[in-house]
Amino acid sequence: MTLDASISSQAAKPAPRRRWRIASWAPLIVLVLLCGLITLINPNFLTFGNMVRISQAAMIPLVLGLGATFIILMGSIDLSVEGGLTLSAVILSMLVLNGANSNTFGLFGVLIVLLVGAGVGFANGVIHVRLKIPSFMVTLGMWFVGVGAANALLGGMAIRINDPMIRGLAIERFLGFPWGVWLALFCLLVALVIQNYTRLGRYIYALGGGEDLAALSGIPVGRVRILTFTLAGVFYAVGGVLAAAQLGLGNAQIGNGRLFTTVTAVVVGGTALSGGQGSVLQTLVGVLIVVVLSNGMVLMGVPPSVQIGVQGLMIIAAVALSIDRKRMRIVK
Amino acid sequence: MNSIIETIRTDGLRQWLPLATLILLVILVGAFQPAFLEVNTLLQLASDTAVVFILATGVTFVIMLGGIDLSIQSMASLSSVAVALTLSRFGYGAFVFAFALGAVAGLLSGIAHVRLRIPSFIATLAMGGVLYSAALVTSRERSITLGDSDRAYLGWITGTVFGIPNVVVIALIVLAIAHVLQSRTRFGRYSAAIGAGEPAAYASGVKVDRQKIIAFVLSGACAALAGIVLVGRLASGSPTLASELLLPSIAAVVVGGTAITGGVGSIWRTLVGALIISVVRIGMTFLGVNIFAQNIVFGVVLVAAVAITIDRSKIPIVK
Repeated sequence: MTLDASISSQAAKPAPRRRWRIASWAPLIVLVLLCGLITLINPNFLTFGNMVRISQAAMIPLVLGLGATFIILMGSIDLSVEGGLTLSAVILSMLVLNGANSNTFGLFGVLIVLLVGAGVGFANGVIHVRLKIPSFMVTLGMWFVGVGAANALLGGMAIRINDPMIRGLAIERFLGFPWGVWLALFCLLVALVIQNYTRLGRYIYALGGGEDLAALSGIPVGRVRILTFTLAGVFYAVGGVLAAAQLGLGNAQIGNGRLFTTVTAVVVGGTALSGGQGSVLQTLVGVLIVVVLSNGMVLMGVPPSVQIGVQGLMIIAAVALSIDRKRMRIVK
Repeated sequence: MNSIIETIRTDGLRQWLPLATLILLVILVGAFQPAFLEVNTLLQLASDTAVVFILATGVTFVIMLGGIDLSIQSMASLSSVAVALTLSRFGYGAFVFAFALGAVAGLLSGIAHVRLRIPSFIATLAMGGVLYSAALVTSRERSITLGDSDRAYLGWITGTVFGIPNVVVIALIVLAIAHVLQSRTRFGRYSAAIGAGEPAAYASGVKVDRQKIIAFVLSGACAALAGIVLVGRLASGSPTLASELLLPSIAAVVVGGTAITGGVGSIWRTLVGALIISVVRIGMTFLGVNIFAQNIVFGVVLVAAVAITIDRSKIPIVK
């Protein structure tokens, strides 16, 4: 075991995590410039009320982005964000105090939902690893399976959530910010610990840096992949809980557009799609860029429908800037 | 599990598996519901399949090269909006305009993918967002119903020829053109070569980038055509008109036996795949499967079909 551990730490070393890269600071500079620009145009941007609005808009993308970051760090992709989130939100709305049935599982219901999320992620991982199917195809299927299952559970309805604890996540505040924001920050802390202080975190970087090398160094590649997809599933389930709390109900459209924002946030933060480069802190910056930009566009009176298009262009720009072309001879 | 897949692959059964599945499904549904086998029902089935088939044909070109296009449903919706907005002003020109729009969008996806070297699934995901946004903005987030004067222009989509719906005829023309493109032109040969082994194709002097861009242009144009046909059938255009069609279209390609790793596949297989998807959909409706739950089945079918058709020797590291 000691030998095993020393080999794996060798393999994890080339991961450029602690190296100072100008590329990883570029998103932060963009964020600061963006904030400055919007403040110049509309000074209301810097008010405390607007900060709370931004944090509320950022909490769900942040939690989703944390899960997706780990997947993308491995060089894979997860398109099932909306599937996991929608299914979690709908199941949550059916388990806690609600307007459709007499369940009152409360906190225990949340726990079940996290397990459901883990199950969806585990299924992604097992199919991806055991059947050797590229992750984008597995998760594309799981996206529709998740949303379809949520739809089937609801039969086209929406279920109102009356549980005061769940609603409290969005309504009740601590130090001026809703509890949901603190929950999202707690998730960030958990993700940071996993990334920096656990073997799984190191293995994820090692896989993204070069999977053949990682496998030769004795890293259980398949198990790491399955575990990472499971972990991401749990993050999406937390996102589902937050989304249900924010909307006050569970419906099958609750996830619409979330995949797009998540992928935008992760790649804009500077995490490379080729894997091995990036971090959850960069995703925090990416989420803030996306949210601040859309907040700024609202302040400037740009209609929300334009924002999807802007995000699309941001994805293309960010990926084009961050891709390490020397490592990719064939792009598919 | 793997060994089962290997046997199916090696003994050539795989090639006929989709067609056998289709025939079996038709017999099965026909046995439960004899009305299914009447000419009218089958013609209805064919016209219902047409839109998915046209979308799937476009994606087939891209998948043959080993890429993917996730923007087709947004393109089809945008095209429906474009037709609905310009039909009264341009007349038949509106269809040409929408079709050209699709080709240009495909060209942009192709350029983003090839020149900026962005993986196709992310480039087209992003392009899909841009197109969706464009559809939302131009339609002011509403569905646009066509007036009576505009519907006069839709005769070529809604009418029939010798009892066969024009939609089916359009799909057959697409089939013929796509077949010729794939089996009789340099583009078709090069596509298969690039899908089979990109470095080898590149080394033999094939202009890989150009073929890829052509494939994306074809995909965008097919998606636009699908949007036009949808306008004809529903007499309206909306930014979400085709949003449910991405999964069935990609499933049709893969279920037909075209491998997502590229190189293996044909338009005929896509036709079989699209028919399978339609028959499964009708079968599920007969069996009383919740219409919302049908996506679960399509999702599972998609993954299963990929698992059977994929060429694992081409991807030593599955990411």
